Amino acid sequence: MLLGVVFAANAALAFAQSAQDIVAAADKIRNPQQPFRSALTLTEYVSGRERSQSGFVLFSKEDGSGHFRNLLQYVEPPRDAGKRVLLDGRSFWFFDPASQASVRISAQQRLTGQAAIGDVLTVNLAADYSATLTGTEPIDDALHQKRDCWHLELKAASEIAVYNRVEYWVEQGSFRPVKGKFYSDSGRLLKIIYYRSFVERLGAVRPAEAVIIDAVDTSLATISKLGELRFQDVPDAWFQRDYLPRLQVR
Amino acid sequence: MKGWSLALATLAFVFTGIALAADEDKDLDLIPGQSSHSEQVLGPASGSLFGGEGRLFVENALSFAATRNDLLVPVPAPTSPRWQEQFFGDARMEWPLGSNAHAVYSGRLNLVAEDGLGFPNRGNVTNDLREAYVSVEPHPRSYFDAGRINLKSGVALGFNPTDFFKARAVVDPLTADPSALREDRLGTVMIRGQRVGEASSLMVAYAPHLTHQVPLAPDPYRGFDPLWGRTNGTDRWLVKASAQLGDGVNPEVLAYGEKGKWQLGVNIAESMGQSTVAYLEWSGGRNVSIADQALEFARATGTIPPDAPGVFTQGSDERFRSRVAVGASYTTESKITFNLEYHYNGAGFSRADWNRWFAAGEGRPDSSAIVRTLWYIRDYAAAQQEPIQQHSIFVRADWVDAFVPKLELTGFVMADAADGSSLWQGESNYATTDLWSFGVLASGTTGGRHSNFGSLPRETRILLKVMRYF
Repeated sequence: MLLGVVFAANAALAFAQSAQDIVAAADKIRNPQQPFRSALTLTEYVSGRERSQSGFVLFSKEDGSGHFRNLLQYVEPPRDAGKRVLLDGRSFWFFDPASQASVRISAQQRLTGQAAIGDVLTVNLAADYSATLTGTEPIDDALHQKRDCWHLELKAASEIAVYNRVEYWVEQGSFRPVKGKFYSDSGRLLKIIYYRSFVERLGAVRPAEAVIIDAVDTSLATISKLGELRFQDVPDAWFQRDYLPRLQVR
Repeated sequence: MKGWSLALATLAFVFTGIALAADEDKDLDLIPGQSSHSEQVLGPASGSLFGGEGRLFVENALSFAATRNDLLVPVPAPTSPRWQEQFFGDARMEWPLGSNAHAVYSGRLNLVAEDGLGFPNRGNVTNDLREAYVSVEPHPRSYFDAGRINLKSGVALGFNPTDFFKARAVVDPLTADPSALREDRLGTVMIRGQRVGEASSLMVAYAPHLTHQVPLAPDPYRGFDPLWGRTNGTDRWLVKASAQLGDGVNPEVLAYGEKGKWQLGVNIAESMGQSTVAYLEWSGGRNVSIADQALEFARATGTIPPDAPGVFTQGSDERFRSRVAVGASYTTESKITFNLEYHYNGAGFSRADWNRWFAAGEGRPDSSAIVRTLWYIRDYAAAQQEPIQQHSIFVRADWVDAFVPKLELTGFVMADAADGSSLWQGESNYATTDLWSFGVLASGTTGGRHSNFGSLPRETRILLKVMRYF
């Protein structure tokens, strides 16, 4: 009896450990491990029709604890060009060159807008969430191809986690992220994300596109497309409020 | 029996899994078709002019205002126009000057027609030179800037006690929203050095006296005058330092000097959970009341004789006075951000000051020198972007994607905590495309005839605007 309990406990521990490993492996597929610069284009759709387009340049760097520090600049549309956002741990700052003002924003505020800044920033899910494996199942990917996936349940484990809960599907064997469903504190399904267009970039086969569906208003969707992606040294000094007005993306 | 149970449980798990997977596949129907732009490579920043990059737009703004006719203290002429039509081109551009330097220009060219202005004359075309400076980075993250620079400080929205260069910088504002007034204001000619370290920053700025201070008077005929006298009438300096003391804790301290007087300041903003940011902005230094500041300035600029009496003030009362803005923002899941702030201006009017102000002016004609002086004090406070009242409550709401995507609704109320009168504004902006926006703005004042905002001449104002970006 005692032996059985010990065995069950060990098995549960191994199960939990492997779920976290799966999420960490999928993070390495999504994000390069060295500091990098990327260019992203977000195209927003309303009822299947293209509504608007935004462009960003993003600088990302791991902070040593598995969390990414992010510095982002809008390059389009024209009304937003030059606006900047800093995410460093619990610190979020928004800078508008028109007012020359840096305003501190909350984690919730970064989710405002159809294509929220929170979906653009580089995040390691394994650092912010604790994962459990709920099973394995075949699901269709964004191209309607069946993928045998691990179905994972992620619970927010750090104060800077964007969402309270995430359902996450990762393809068995390749560790490619296939789909995520993201929930608010109140349990409301906020977003569904499909990862697609896997291509070789910076030493790994990574998703070049993500389809972000607004689950609250399902007529709204956004396609995030990764353009330029390259390793770049990003000094720690860039990740503070007073550097925001000084950022040059040329 | 146990075997049957296990088999049934297994079957249930399998079928449930298949059913759930089938539900998951319905999400695929929500994926839109391929974007026609999706193969585009991200281009240069939009808004390109002579090789520079930035933000370019034109805007047409048509406004109508209604005024009060029953003021206890009448307003001397000229009064604000009942209607105004303004078309302007606005640019904020940067041009590279080699690998470690760039030039910045920010300005607005206005074509104006308004009630009482007449046509054609010099007032129909004006230019606001907001910024023109060169920035050099001689060593990594060490900067030297020279020219007209808009140097902004502060973490609050409704009132910025540490924004020392805001005085007299706002020209012809289209909005009453204090958080938007920073966008169209004049910079100050200065030299500025800054060092951004790994977890700290130090900035030193010196703004020299370039010309005499110009009197406080509306100048619709300014034409292309850069208005140096508004921003560089005295020697001023500012030192700012900030440091990251822990995860997300990044306070800023400031020291400011002008005409031999100095002020200290602090800015702190801190996250409180997922949805709330709390902030505190404070500055303090020895100073006289806002009324005495106004009268000192009026004497210095020749607006009133040097030996003119202080109307209702008791004479100079210089002492240490604080200015505070403390508040918090809260963002809901439905994308509405609320800001609630308390403002304190230690140099502002107390209830007794208001009683004296009304008693001094009540029943006098608008041509009276005393009435002119009383309104001069209020105009001076407004030009300084300082609340004339000591205690205020500021509430602001901003709803992004309200009802439909790209519709933004913004509103605020600034209330005098002593008498309950208020300044309010509601605004809606709808971006029909990435290049076009349409907006409606309504603002007004409420309160009794003996109150702060209820004694202002402007009662309501409606503004219609259309913007085209390039």
